[in-house]
Amino acid sequence: MNVSLIWQSLPFLWTGFLMTLGLAAVSIAGSTVLGLAVAALRTSRPPLLRGLGRAYVELFRGSPIPITLLFVYFGAALYLGYGVNLFVAAAVGLSVYHSAFVAEIIRAGIEAVPVGQHEAAQILGLKPAQSFRWVVLPQTVKIAVPPLVGQYISLIKDTSIASIIGLAEMMKVGQSIVDRTGDPVSIYLTVAVLYFIVCYPLSLWVTRSQRRAI
Amino acid sequence: MSTATPNTTTIGRGIQLSGVSKLFGDLEVLKDVTLNVDDGEVVVLIGASGSGKSTLLRIMSGLETSTTGEVVVGGVPMHDPKRAPEIRGHVGMVFQQFNLFPHLDALGNVTLALRKVYKMSKADADAKGMQVLARVGMDDRAHHQPSQLSGGQQQRVAIARALAVDPRIIFFDEATSALDPELVGEVTNVMRSLADDGMTMVVVTHEMGFARRTADRVLFMADGVIAEQGTPEELFGNPQHPRTVQFLSKIAEA
Amino acid sequence: MFEYQWRTVLAYWPDYLHAAVLALQITVVGFLLAFVIASAAALARNSASAILRFVATCYVEAIRNTPVLLQIFIVYFALPSFGIRLSAVTAGTIALGINVGAYLTEVLRAGISSVGKGQLEAAQILGLSTRTVLLNVVAPQALRNVYPALVNNLIQVLLGTALLSAIAVPEITGVATVVNARTLLFVQVFGIAVALYLVLSYGLSAVATLVERLSFKTPTGRRTRKRTPAPTLTGASS
Repeated sequence: MNVSLIWQSLPFLWTGFLMTLGLAAVSIAGSTVLGLAVAALRTSRPPLLRGLGRAYVELFRGSPIPITLLFVYFGAALYLGYGVNLFVAAAVGLSVYHSAFVAEIIRAGIEAVPVGQHEAAQILGLKPAQSFRWVVLPQTVKIAVPPLVGQYISLIKDTSIASIIGLAEMMKVGQSIVDRTGDPVSIYLTVAVLYFIVCYPLSLWVTRSQRRAI
Repeated sequence: MSTATPNTTTIGRGIQLSGVSKLFGDLEVLKDVTLNVDDGEVVVLIGASGSGKSTLLRIMSGLETSTTGEVVVGGVPMHDPKRAPEIRGHVGMVFQQFNLFPHLDALGNVTLALRKVYKMSKADADAKGMQVLARVGMDDRAHHQPSQLSGGQQQRVAIARALAVDPRIIFFDEATSALDPELVGEVTNVMRSLADDGMTMVVVTHEMGFARRTADRVLFMADGVIAEQGTPEELFGNPQHPRTVQFLSKIAEA
Repeated sequence: MFEYQWRTVLAYWPDYLHAAVLALQITVVGFLLAFVIASAAALARNSASAILRFVATCYVEAIRNTPVLLQIFIVYFALPSFGIRLSAVTAGTIALGINVGAYLTEVLRAGISSVGKGQLEAAQILGLSTRTVLLNVVAPQALRNVYPALVNNLIQVLLGTALLSAIAVPEITGVATVVNARTLLFVQVFGIAVALYLVLSYGLSAVATLVERLSFKTPTGRRTRKRTPAPTLTGASS
């Protein structure tokens, strides 16, 4: 363990760390918005829309993330020329991939709200949109938040995959330092600790909330 | 400060059903039911499980549609899918499982429709809400969450919620069946006082005492038809139909 | 024009095929490794020894809170510093096994606790040794109850092989990247890759279902054609 090397590398790793967090934040937002839309598809009445939602979910849950990411990256590269913004490509790829999982979590949350709630709202005169917004959605959120946070933790870890398209997030920065200095043990363990510091508290929160729910 | 909802003049009165049938797949749950309920009348439906009484109630309140027949509630032709939604907000329903909104307190439950459907200001809605909560004796718990209330208290809040929109008719779907016996009385007392105030009520229940004391008319249902109907004295005192006799004697044994 | 694109990419089918076979091999071996590790870790977490519990918990939490790509890099690039030099395929398989092993640990723990306490008491009274109880009473029921979760994790190993392209393993994603570099027909190239993964995962699921049907007998001991009942984690066994 080369402590002085670690110390010297920290500024670089910090830049990568910020990039990781930034990418995670944008992708979390993106995947949630997309996931909501797909969940709406999945729970809508026309079978065509439901089928579309189902196909979307099956497609992304059945493919590895690198492929989704590479697809977005090369697609953008070919159609926009090589001035592709790596951050945007990574964010789009991660958002699209994780939106499939977010959609399923939200859908399960919606379906967990008893039918009687919607019926009561309907009788009171609330229109379907109002019933969803003021009666179903608040309850869905309460149910869905712990599994959603679990999914976001996965997303934070998956930002590391953006390294394969060259984005300078924490994993890639670590790689570059290792290539330069030839000390994989110190650097990679440090990077591991950095990821752990972010993810572990969130994991604890998820476990605790799910225990409380039971 | 206005506490009235813009709800009183838009629909007619009473309920008229004729030739109503309901099929769930191959199962005929209701067979050619004809029924009239007058404005201000309290009609109680009794019968065994599967007799179709809950389905009939849900058809009248708009939660289900009849397979055949005419259903007119408060002047609204419910069997016409284009016009059926007009009924919403003009009838009330009290469910066996209460169906209170768990994320809102008692006052919130009662005022949600007032604020979102009738666009009342928070002040007006809260005033009206407290008024109906007082009517059912729950104004001192206006800020309790449903999880903090007993079953009887929750059901009373549910009644207040239904009352808040000034409905013409209130439907009760086994409102006391999910309550512990000692809590039934507080709910039936509220229902009694609503009846005394002239509310039109259609009640599905197993509480024969309530039927005896409060109903204007009792209908006994079996196998999807109204087997017998009459005043409480007539039906309980002198039942004609063999199924009615059978049912009542089983109740008496319990 | 469109047809030409597909024909060009499909001409690489031998490479895709070899890649798919390799991915399958890594998946199977990796999953078996994960299962062995997870069995040990699940027992450790349930054991009376606080040290064992601590070690196992550290393993699970460390793996689940760090990226799998990083774990692959550590096994492949960092171990040589300790004198352990592995081929890319071996390193990748081991890394995936260790990774999925952590998730499988939790699955197996749930499975073990789903076997009602009453059974353990009955077995104890009968004088059965701990080993017999584990192998003949707990394991069959635990596995049957969490079988879908097991299959899920198997698929996760398959999807994880895609990351091994980062250490130059010639599996499906790696091959696709090369073919794409040559032809630039990324839609077809990655489309076929996705199709391969989907085919492989549905295939693995089907095989897993077959295995389930053949191995899980009903309580009376006779094999039946009926599907096993839906697994519950509440201790309710059929």
